[in-house]
Amino acid sequence: MLLDLYRTTLTALRYRWLAYELLIRDLKLRYRGTALGFVWALLNPLLFMAIYTLVFSIYLRIKIPNYPLYLLCGMIPFNWFAMSVQAAVTSIPDGRMYVGKTLFPTELLILTPVLVNGVNFLISLALIVVFALAMGVHLGWSLVLIPVVIIGQFLLVTGIAMILATFNVFFRDLQQLVTYATSALFFITPIFYTREMVPERFSFFITWNPLAALVQMYQSVFYRGTMPSFRELGFVYIAGIIALALAATWFQRYREFFGEYV
Amino acid sequence: MNTSNGAPAVLVESISKTFRIPNIPKQATVKDLVLRRTRREGSTGIVEALREVSFSLPHGGVLGIIGSNGSGKTTLLRIIAGVCHPDGGRLAVQGSVAPILSIGAGFHPDLTGRENAKVGLLTLGLTPREVKEFMGPVLEFSEIEEFVDLPVRTYSAGMMFRLAFSIAVCVDPDVLLLDEVLSVGDERYSRKCLERIDGFKRSGKTIVLTTHNLEFVESWCTAALWLNEGRVAAQGDPAAVVEAYRTLTPTAV
Repeated sequence: MLLDLYRTTLTALRYRWLAYELLIRDLKLRYRGTALGFVWALLNPLLFMAIYTLVFSIYLRIKIPNYPLYLLCGMIPFNWFAMSVQAAVTSIPDGRMYVGKTLFPTELLILTPVLVNGVNFLISLALIVVFALAMGVHLGWSLVLIPVVIIGQFLLVTGIAMILATFNVFFRDLQQLVTYATSALFFITPIFYTREMVPERFSFFITWNPLAALVQMYQSVFYRGTMPSFRELGFVYIAGIIALALAATWFQRYREFFGEYV
Repeated sequence: MNTSNGAPAVLVESISKTFRIPNIPKQATVKDLVLRRTRREGSTGIVEALREVSFSLPHGGVLGIIGSNGSGKTTLLRIIAGVCHPDGGRLAVQGSVAPILSIGAGFHPDLTGRENAKVGLLTLGLTPREVKEFMGPVLEFSEIEEFVDLPVRTYSAGMMFRLAFSIAVCVDPDVLLLDEVLSVGDERYSRKCLERIDGFKRSGKTIVLTTHNLEFVESWCTAALWLNEGRVAAQGDPAAVVEAYRTLTPTAV
């Protein structure tokens, strides 16, 4: 298991230039020919921020001060997860011209969507900072921990993406299930409501949901201006490392069959 | 870089490969899994592709692997390339490897020839600086000219082969692997490839290829290996192996 994890990491590092090329290529493809370029990365969260504010804050009267900022702190990290996983789940059959026929490392097919959406995430993080400053949130030393949170999220997202991509080779309707599951996760994660609003008997949706821990850390730093909880940080790292270790184990075990099934 | 410390360029010792195809039909779904319908009746899903295959090829050798379809030629080449792992036995390859395992493999249809060449070169382990340096010679040798900046889906099989062959030979690998691809180019370009292969041979580089062209094996290879149902039926002198193959396989062309 640890050996598989080591082997997978080593491959990713050995092919870093190829990974970099694939990342740049995908970013170019995404923003090529669009007059606004990477501004598109900001428009999506802004649009949904406006709609959710209208619906939840004005229509449904959810009482959370600085609601637009609160929404961004949850939505933007959640989108990195959701968009990466949805793109990664089909990445092995999408890359069938490489799998099993060339020395091209299949790991990179899965890693690329995670990295591309990670860059997107970093760009939109600037949006959160601008909103936090505009709303007068005190951004202090807790900012130093944001890179640590981001690395934890990267481990978690990569692990889940790799597990789903591996099994989707054999069970192709997994990609549909992933679409439903990410929508469901969006609603059970405290993004447009706070965890205090969740009734006690449903609190396990928060306690056992690593994405809830994740978005609450961003909310602590950028919305409340406090340190992220170390319990949440620990939870995300443990979940991330377990996901990645399982991912590497299954990926290495089943990779030799990828060629036959893509 | 010639790493000849007495060891052969390619050493294969009693390599076996059995494909245990998981008991999952293609097009399986999670729904089937939940309803327990994935078990395929009557199918064990076991294919013995290679059984105790051994050979050793010195530096500068050109090995031609022959045998009917399904005899394990491609599997053997994939194992030497490192894209497939043997169940048992030992494999030792000296130096860098560049494989061409099928036409169009490694090319993304929507990317241009140039972009695909870049990815191909990076896959072979080059740094971005080296890619820049090698790109000119690769595109020149491939002679795809005005198609360089068009998507690969507009290419003919011959053009794809030319680009793949150029990528593989221009990085000057120690071992070149070719799976039934030499017959794709036209007469003139094939001659150009053969000249390059000859140059390869003379500079001590090693080639392992599979082919159905027995004349090619007789005239260009330094050794031949005949695979029959995953076992080595004969190996050694190309003329002798081809002769044995011709007499014992009446259906052979």
